[in-house]
Amino acid sequence: MIELLAATPQTSTGEAVAFWCLAPIAVGAAVMILLSRKAVHSALWMATTMIVLAVLFIMQGGIFLGVVQVVVYTGAVMMLFLFVLMLVGVDASDSFVETLRAQRVAGILLGAGFGVLLMAAVSRATFPEAVGVGAANDAAGGHVEAIAEAIFTRYVFTFEVVSIVLITAAVGAMALTHKERLTPRRPQPEQSVDRIRSAHPTPHPSPGVYAQHNAVDTPALLPDGTASEASVPDELRRQGTVRYTELEAANRRADEDGERE
Amino acid sequence: MMPHLADGFTSPTFEYQLLAPMLIVFGGAIVGVLVEAFTPRGPRRTVQVALGLVTLVVAFVVLLAVTRPKLGDLAASGTVAIDGPAVFFQGTILVLALLSFLLFVERGVDSAGDAFTPSGATIPGSASERELVAARVSQTEVWPLALFSVGGMMLFVASNDLLTFFVALEVMSLPLYLLVGLARRRRLLSQEAALKYFLLGSFSSAFLLFGSAFLFGYSGSISFTGIYDSLSSGVGLDPLLLIGTGMVAIGLFFKVGAVPFHSWVPDVYQGAPTPVTAFMAAATKVAAFGAMLRIFYVALGDYDWNWRPMFWVVTILTIVVGSILAITQTDIKRMLAYSSVAQAGFILTGVTAASDSGLSSTMFYLVAYGFATIGAFALVTLVRDGTSEATHLSRWAGLGRRSPIIAAVLSLFLLSFAGIPLTSGFIGKFLVFEAAVNGGATPLVIVGAIFSAVAAFFYVRVIVLMYFSDPPDDAPSLALPGAATTLAVAVCAAGTVALGVVPGPVIDLAQEAAAFIR
Repeated sequence: MIELLAATPQTSTGEAVAFWCLAPIAVGAAVMILLSRKAVHSALWMATTMIVLAVLFIMQGGIFLGVVQVVVYTGAVMMLFLFVLMLVGVDASDSFVETLRAQRVAGILLGAGFGVLLMAAVSRATFPEAVGVGAANDAAGGHVEAIAEAIFTRYVFTFEVVSIVLITAAVGAMALTHKERLTPRRPQPEQSVDRIRSAHPTPHPSPGVYAQHNAVDTPALLPDGTASEASVPDELRRQGTVRYTELEAANRRADEDGERE
Repeated sequence: MMPHLADGFTSPTFEYQLLAPMLIVFGGAIVGVLVEAFTPRGPRRTVQVALGLVTLVVAFVVLLAVTRPKLGDLAASGTVAIDGPAVFFQGTILVLALLSFLLFVERGVDSAGDAFTPSGATIPGSASERELVAARVSQTEVWPLALFSVGGMMLFVASNDLLTFFVALEVMSLPLYLLVGLARRRRLLSQEAALKYFLLGSFSSAFLLFGSAFLFGYSGSISFTGIYDSLSSGVGLDPLLLIGTGMVAIGLFFKVGAVPFHSWVPDVYQGAPTPVTAFMAAATKVAAFGAMLRIFYVALGDYDWNWRPMFWVVTILTIVVGSILAITQTDIKRMLAYSSVAQAGFILTGVTAASDSGLSSTMFYLVAYGFATIGAFALVTLVRDGTSEATHLSRWAGLGRRSPIIAAVLSLFLLSFAGIPLTSGFIGKFLVFEAAVNGGATPLVIVGAIFSAVAAFFYVRVIVLMYFSDPPDDAPSLALPGAATTLAVAVCAAGTVALGVVPGPVIDLAQEAAAFIR
């Protein structure tokens, strides 16, 4: 829409200059969202695009929209997004290996083709003279008033329904992240008391360190060469993913066979 | 003209009678969220189940008793159109949702409880998950989420401008993305399905939104009536209209699972909890087709010479690719998923007719398809290997000897999909093909007829497998369905037979209702 308005004969020189300065930044930043290897960089490029769009909105007379774009999208949503990225710790170590061969090349070609198609279509259209946002603003007695009137009269039902999207998002976020506690949380003093009273008050032995493996799934060896069960987390043992040494694994198989007989 | 603000604000009028069914569903869902917050864990599930079922029943009764007599009005300042097709689709969505909800209730077929994970937040296979399973906790957020989705679908088929249309699409889709990821069994598959559906779904929504912007750029109006009126006057802007139409169509083709926008269907249908698959396959398809019919028949009604060629290509591709890929499947949920792609193609044949009979035949087909789909997926939940469903086709061998009833009812649904006479599918196919021939789309009908035969092959193959081969040595266990599933399957089977033997009343209803208002 921005291009449409800018391309009309009414566009003033100042507006055209501003548009042609800002539009390449917006498009370039949008491309960089895709090309950045780090998620945090992508998010920052996204913020750049949004700010430039906000300037364009304000230039077109949509002051409220421009300000909301900066305050809500760039300021709140994108920054929240950045926080989450930093908390979760997505970094450049993510795999960029293509699982389908030549998918990236095909994607770029198709995307470029689609872009050409859109540009061709828009450039072939002959636009009527733009009315401008000013006319709509004046009709309602002001820019904010015009938006308020649209939201609270004609589109009030739609506006109310949007709240459902927000409720869904909130309920969904809770459903996917909130774990209900069935047993009360045990405070640390109680836990230490239990620990001292238990058979093993000292820390568990650390997992084994070998030439090839030194992960938590590798049990330490006791002096007699058997694996120490206490050195690997219970959860791994339950899953059956503990990595025993070859000798130990052979012993265990022999033990199991012995038990079966 | 809107009154000037300076002259004082005139509050908009609401046609509460016309909006009542939607408001009831949304209201029920919001009460459900509050129940989630304030009811203790013990009775919570019971309250949610009762609330969900009662809400749907009340909304359906109100729809019939209050809304239907006042058909053909715009509501909420013209953003919602409550006309014949809208009420017909809303009623269909409510009935199909009620049947799916009966499957949601079922706790008898899985020894651990219903089809949903006790907590979507726990890591699959972790100690905390085991603890919650042992305590028989259930994720009761499922109920309000499903109700929100139903409300969104009802608004989707009635929305009368691009803004409401898009909002309704999101209201309908967001809860579905969540529900897909909450399966009790094979949780990683389910979570992967949810992520795929979410990413591709947002991508398609973006196309739809971009297309809406083009349509607005063309007509200067976002109301469907405004776009229709501008069709005759928008000289020089035709490229915008063409691009806008194409991109809005992409968004809708994605939702109905038409080729080439179908790639999500098999993965999502397979990964989702089977009751949710049934709900999505039936109700979402009705909603998406309802919205598609409205935008292409109302807003772009006089533009059909331009959008029909696109529909021709997509319809043929959908029927051909859906049928052929369904033959190669070895998993029954994936096979039903590809079959639903092929069915979308047959339904598109009716849409392509671009006539009143095209509209009414599509309406009938969707009802027939919805019943058979929910029934078929309900039966998939009954055949189990240990804890999870035995979905590999080889596990279904010889089922006819072990459980004649399950095999017979499944055969009925499959024969209906295949379009064998005396089932609803036959009447549906007949009506859409007739409408397409009258609408000048005979080649489509020829392709449709040929590939009905191809499709019949893989449906009949399952029937042959069930009746004419020996059950495997370690045959899967057959769960005894509880009252809820039994009721749902019985209603679906009765509907499939009734619509095949005495289709008259529903055809009349569809024809009577088949008039959009502008």
